[in-house]
Amino acid sequence: MNTNSSKRVAITGLGIITAIGESVSEFSQGLFDGRCGIGPVSLFDTTGFPCQLAAQVKNKNLEARIDIREFKRASRCDLLGLIAAQEAFSCSGLNLDQCSRDNIGVILGGGAGGMRSWENFRRTLWSGKTRPRPSQLLPFASCTLTDFIASHYRLTGSRCTICTACSSSSTSIGYGFDLIQSGVHDIVVTGGSEALSELTFAGFNALRVMDPIYCRPFDKNRRGLSLGEGAAIFILEDYKRAQDRGATIYAEMLGYAINADAFHMTTPDPDATGMSNVMANALERAGISTKQVDYINAHGTATKINDYAETRAIKRVFGRKKARELAISSTKSMIGHCLGSAGAIEAAVTILALNRQILPPTIHLDEPDPDCNLDYVPNHSRTQDIRIALSNSFAFGGNNTSLVFGRANRDI
Amino acid sequence: MGVGRETFWENCRKAKNGIRKITSFDTSALGSNIAGLVEGFNPGRFMLPKIYRRMGRISRMAVAASIEAMEDSGIKLDTIDKGKIGVIVGTAYGSSSHVEDFYLSLLNDGPRGAQPFLFPETVPNAPASHIAMFHGITGPNTTFCQNDISAEVAILYARNLLLQNIVDVVLVGGADELSVIQYACFDTLGALNKVKIKKDEIVKPLPGGGLVLGEGAGVLIMEKRDFALERGASIYGTFKSGVNTGGVTSIGHYEVTGEQTARAMSLAIEQAAIDLHEIDRGIDLVDVSANFSDELDRMEYNQLKKIFPKRIKDLRVTPLKYLMGNFGGAGIIRAAAILLSLHRQLSLPVVKAEILKGESYDDMEWETPCTDKIQTALMSTSTFGGGSSSLIFTKN
Repeated sequence: MNTNSSKRVAITGLGIITAIGESVSEFSQGLFDGRCGIGPVSLFDTTGFPCQLAAQVKNKNLEARIDIREFKRASRCDLLGLIAAQEAFSCSGLNLDQCSRDNIGVILGGGAGGMRSWENFRRTLWSGKTRPRPSQLLPFASCTLTDFIASHYRLTGSRCTICTACSSSSTSIGYGFDLIQSGVHDIVVTGGSEALSELTFAGFNALRVMDPIYCRPFDKNRRGLSLGEGAAIFILEDYKRAQDRGATIYAEMLGYAINADAFHMTTPDPDATGMSNVMANALERAGISTKQVDYINAHGTATKINDYAETRAIKRVFGRKKARELAISSTKSMIGHCLGSAGAIEAAVTILALNRQILPPTIHLDEPDPDCNLDYVPNHSRTQDIRIALSNSFAFGGNNTSLVFGRANRDI
Repeated sequence: MGVGRETFWENCRKAKNGIRKITSFDTSALGSNIAGLVEGFNPGRFMLPKIYRRMGRISRMAVAASIEAMEDSGIKLDTIDKGKIGVIVGTAYGSSSHVEDFYLSLLNDGPRGAQPFLFPETVPNAPASHIAMFHGITGPNTTFCQNDISAEVAILYARNLLLQNIVDVVLVGGADELSVIQYACFDTLGALNKVKIKKDEIVKPLPGGGLVLGEGAGVLIMEKRDFALERGASIYGTFKSGVNTGGVTSIGHYEVTGEQTARAMSLAIEQAAIDLHEIDRGIDLVDVSANFSDELDRMEYNQLKKIFPKRIKDLRVTPLKYLMGNFGGAGIIRAAAILLSLHRQLSLPVVKAEILKGESYDDMEWETPCTDKIQTALMSTSTFGGGSSSLIFTKN
C-alpha cells in the first residue's frame, strides 16, 4: 500500500554465486577481468546436442557451503540460492535478532527451480531399473527456495515468487522495491537462483538458439545464447534505516517498470516497442532523465533478433547521440544466460559497476555487427564515472523488465 | 463446477460437487483416482483453433476466462491505452503436462528428437503471455507461483500496480491444469486423499485424509474505482484490504502453529477498518482454504477460533476447495464466487466451521442460508511451504 511514497531504497546486502566466481569478491574479480565461465557441462550428458557448453558453477561440493542437515531436500537451485542468501545476510551486517521479522519480506524470482531433481526422479522412473526417491519431487515447485530462505531466517513478512522465465528475478527486485517504497516492509530479501537442467538445455537447443561455441553478444558472427546457472540475492532496505544503522550501501534502487510485448511466445518484437517502453517507463518512474544515464547492463542474449532489437530500443529511448555516449554491456558473454536468476545476477553486475565505478565488458566481441553500432565495452572493462545505470531483462512470452539503480550517496 | 460464470454460480449455490473420478488419464497404478476436473471445456467456443492450437490446457482455460471476463466488464479495448492494462496471473505449476511431454520426447527420442514446439509452453508465464497476446495488452505482465496462494499474491500485486497509478485496469487471473505427472507426483509423495471410486460412484474424500487436487481458471477485472465509475461499469465488489505473510515450516508442510495465518487475517481485518471486537457483526462471509489436508484444515479451524471466539460454535464457512479441489490458481475462483455473492446478495454454500476439525464426510451438510445482508467477506488461504494470505472484499 502506498503509505509513504517518498521512501528511498538501499541495497545493503549482496550474495552471488556463478560460473566466474562463488562470492561477491571472486565474482567481481572475474567480471572486471572479463573471465569466461562458459565450458563443458558435467551435470548431465550433453552428447548429441548441437551446443554442449554452458556456464556451470564449478564447485562440486556446494553442500559444504551450508548446513546441509537443515536442507536435506534442497535441489541444486536451492543450494545456490541459499549460499547467495548466506553471503547477502553476512555482508548486510543485519542483526536479525534486532529486527522485526514480520517486517522482512522474501520476494524471489524463480526459473526451472528444482527441475534437475525432478529430472533425476523422472529419468529413473522412465528407465524402469530402480525405484526413484520420492523426496526428489519435493523441491520441484519454483517457490521452494523462497520458503527455504524465509523459514531458515524465520522471516514472516510478505512471501512470494515471480516466474516469468528470464525476467523473473528482476521483476522480484522490482516488487521488493515497491514493498519498501510504499512502507509495507523495511527490509526485503530478493533476487533469484537457477540451476542448469536437461529440460532447459534441451529446450533451447531444440529451438536452435544456442551458439555451439560460446555466446558473442552484439558480434556480427553471433549464433545465439549460452546457458548458465547461479544465484544472486539482495537485501533491499529502507534507505534511512540503512543510514541510521551505519550499513554499507552498495547502491540505491530508483525505480523499475515491467510490460509485455504481446507479440510472440519466444521471439522478441523486432520493432522493439515493448523494450523501448519498459526502459522509458522505468526512467520516468525513477524520476531520471535519459541524459543522466551512464550505463546499461543489456539483456544481450546474443541471438540475432534480441541484440538487434535491444540496440534499436536503446536508440529510440535515448536518441542516437546519447545512445552512442552510453556504455552498454552484456555480461552473459561471461556468465551465460542464467534464465530465472539472470535478472538478479545482472542487477548485481549493475550494482557492482556503480559501486566500483568500473564498466564490465562484453567479451567475445571481436567483429561488431554493423546493425549493433553502440559502445558495448568490448572485451575489456573500463574505469568510468557511473552515476545512474539500467539493467534490462526480456523474457519468453514477451515479459520485459527494466531496473534503475543509482550510485550510493549521490546527490539527488 | 462448470464452464462459464453463470453455470459456475448456479453450481456454486447448489454446492454441486465438482470432484469426480479421473477419466482423462490412467490412474490404475495410483493410490487415488479423484480430482476436481474441468469437464466440457471447449476452447473453440472462445477462440479460433489456430490461436489455441499450440497452447497448453492451462493457457486455453486462462485465455477463455479472460475473454469472458473482458466481455462481462464492458471494457472496449480499442478505446483505452492497452499499455495501462496489466495482466497478472497466479499458478502453482503452469503447464506441467508440457514439462512432462517435452522431457519424455527428450528421453524417448534423444537430443535431436526433443520437440521444440512443446518447450515454450513449459514456462509458468505462458498463460499470462497468451492473455496479453490475445487481447493485445502491453501493460505490466507477470506471474506468481507460490503454491496454493499463487492467485492471492497475484491479486495483491495487481492492487500494488493500481495504487501506484501504473495501470487503470488489471486482468488478474488464477489457473492450473491437472496433469498425469502432477497427480502422480503428489501421489508418490503420499499427499493425496487415498480414495478410489468407480465411475459414477459418489465421492467421499476422507476429511483430513489428504489433498484432493483440482484444476481450473478464472480472471477478474480489477480497476481503480474512479475509472470504473467513470465508464459506468457494473461493480461486483470492492477489494478492501489484503495481507500476505509467511509462516515458518518445513518443505511440503503447512504452518503448524497457524500464527502467520492468524496474523494475516487480523491485519487484513484491521486494514479494512473492521473493529476486531465487532468482528461477529463485521464479517458476513468466511471463505477458507481447507482442502481435506489434516494439517491445513485443523490449523485453519484453530485460527478461526481465535478470530471469531464468540461465534465459533455457530460459525459457518465456505470451503470451496471441498467442491472443486485444490490448486494454485483457485484463489481467483474463490474470489469470483465471493464477488458474485456480494453482488447478488445471495449467500455462498456453507458448512459448520467445526467440520474442518476432521469430522466424517457424512456429517458435512452444505447449507445455503437465506440472508438479508452480505456486506463483507473474508477470504483466508494458507499453503504448504508456509505462505498465507487474507483478503477482504466488500459490497461497495
